[in-house]
Amino acid sequence: MKVKGKTWVASGYVMAYDIIIQKYWTAPIDPAENAKWVMAGVAEEFNRENGFKDQGYTFIVAGHNFAGGGKSIEHVVTGLMGAGIKAVFADSFARLQFRNAINYGLPFITCKGIAEICQTGDQLEWDTDSGLITNLSNGRALQSVPVAPFVAEVAQAGGLMNFIRKKIEHNTIAELQ
Amino acid sequence: MTITEKILAINSGRDKVTPGELVWADVHTVMTMDYLGKQTFTQLHKLGCSEVFDKDRVICVSDHLVPPPTVEFATMLNEWREVVKQHRITHFYDLGRQGIAHQIMVEQGHVLPGKISIGTDSHANTYGAVGAVGNAIGVTDAAVAMAIGKCWFRVPETVKFVIYGEWQPWVMAKDLSLHIMGMMHWNGHLIYKALEFTGPAIAQLDMAGRMTLCNMTVDLGAKNGIVPPDEVTRQYLQGRAKGSWEPLLSDSDAHYEAVYEVNVSEVGPTVALPDKLDDVVPVEKVAGRKFNKAFVGTCTNGRVEDLEIMAKILKGKRIHRDVNMIIVPASQAVFLEAMQKGYLQTLVEAGAAIDTPSCAACAGIHTGVAGDGDIVLSAGNRNMKGRMGSKNAQIYLTSPAVVAASAIFGEITDPRTINL
Repeated sequence: MKVKGKTWVASGYVMAYDIIIQKYWTAPIDPAENAKWVMAGVAEEFNRENGFKDQGYTFIVAGHNFAGGGKSIEHVVTGLMGAGIKAVFADSFARLQFRNAINYGLPFITCKGIAEICQTGDQLEWDTDSGLITNLSNGRALQSVPVAPFVAEVAQAGGLMNFIRKKIEHNTIAELQ
Repeated sequence: MTITEKILAINSGRDKVTPGELVWADVHTVMTMDYLGKQTFTQLHKLGCSEVFDKDRVICVSDHLVPPPTVEFATMLNEWREVVKQHRITHFYDLGRQGIAHQIMVEQGHVLPGKISIGTDSHANTYGAVGAVGNAIGVTDAAVAMAIGKCWFRVPETVKFVIYGEWQPWVMAKDLSLHIMGMMHWNGHLIYKALEFTGPAIAQLDMAGRMTLCNMTVDLGAKNGIVPPDEVTRQYLQGRAKGSWEPLLSDSDAHYEAVYEVNVSEVGPTVALPDKLDDVVPVEKVAGRKFNKAFVGTCTNGRVEDLEIMAKILKGKRIHRDVNMIIVPASQAVFLEAMQKGYLQTLVEAGAAIDTPSCAACAGIHTGVAGDGDIVLSAGNRNMKGRMGSKNAQIYLTSPAVVAASAIFGEITDPRTINL
């Protein structure tokens, strides 16, 4: 499958703390609600209701340790999903949010050097089968690290909650090795 | 296999695992706490489960929001208490029996060598101090583990730190943590790794120091930090461990992705400059810089040993009149022991304010948050803009010894230079 859309490119290190600012850490997990103030701390232009969402980005491109700083809150992932983000491409991801992204089925795709071939506003095309990311605005392309089978399986199920709920319902938890 | 690989193998019923492999492993304990706890139980219910897998092995702690500073938090805490009660959780450390979750988990024996414990707060890496795999997870993972007693793990590559030499006077595990932070840098190569701390200088380190060291591995980007269990571990767990355990150690032919050696004799008191954890300098480089707030507590440095070293420095001294110092013991047990040993009296006589155990200002939620223009000298774990409250405050991170020595003068001071 090919996913196309507009990208936002981080100019520096993006912390989980700035994706969801402290005021919203205790909010319920709800993609639509979490999306209203997602990225509020990353740039002043996003620091208003739907400030990021209204830009209509499909992808985020970043450097190292995307969503770092060490917060376990899942609002980071649900907020991005609620704002219409279909994948994040980065040199590396912070462990906690990488894990949360897998559990929610939001692709966090490792792709070294991706920020160097993209600018905010560029149209990207991501081939989910081959992992090739093409910048349609300048014709450059990079091959990303393939998604692990377990990650694909969880995404296919619609996230870890659905994945586990089915196993509990079918009494097949013992299959988890 | 390394100790981390062995723990993941044994707890997932395998003879062997290799880095990169994905396993579903049994968890010994699952911790959740006040501000994410209700969400965790809500997720559990969404899985179709009304009961947790083991009432004795789901540990609930009130630490971030207690005592509640606002009506909103007081109401959240009431909802949290209701849900914990509803599930008849055996070990609920609520206000009055509270402490910072990671301190509680180790101090109350809920973490055991050779086993896996997880928690919905990033500093769950602390559990590695007793030779366990301690891992931070989100509320979804916690709910799944509370339902089925298992969690998925990607087996990490292990990086070994061999620490040798002699600990110098007034140098603490925190200084070593910050030194390693400066050495390795925050972004990049330690992400997802297991960090194993070994060597003669680690063998000399008490449990409080091991907890500090493992605690801050999350701030290096690592998956877990671990100290192989030894005699110090065994003595610490005596009368404390809830359950039986056997020590697991790395094999002599274990594979490490990298090995770093640090001579602790060359590590002095260390300071991380405001905003960036890896912007680290020896204390003498910043000596003389003024500050107005001092903070010691947190899951990193709120233990009896931390209060002891502060009491040694502040005995008979007065904290500078331009400095507000807040000290928050990491748990009620720490509070009581520090009281019985006279440390709290010494600290209060010196002019420090002591608050009831909680995460306090570390998460910027309550108890001494930073305002505009504040310059904080903190023994906590994070110093990014806004961490303790205002984005217009600066946070220097250092050891409790440096905070205590500096508080006397109102400027950053090398504890090795003061007359006691």
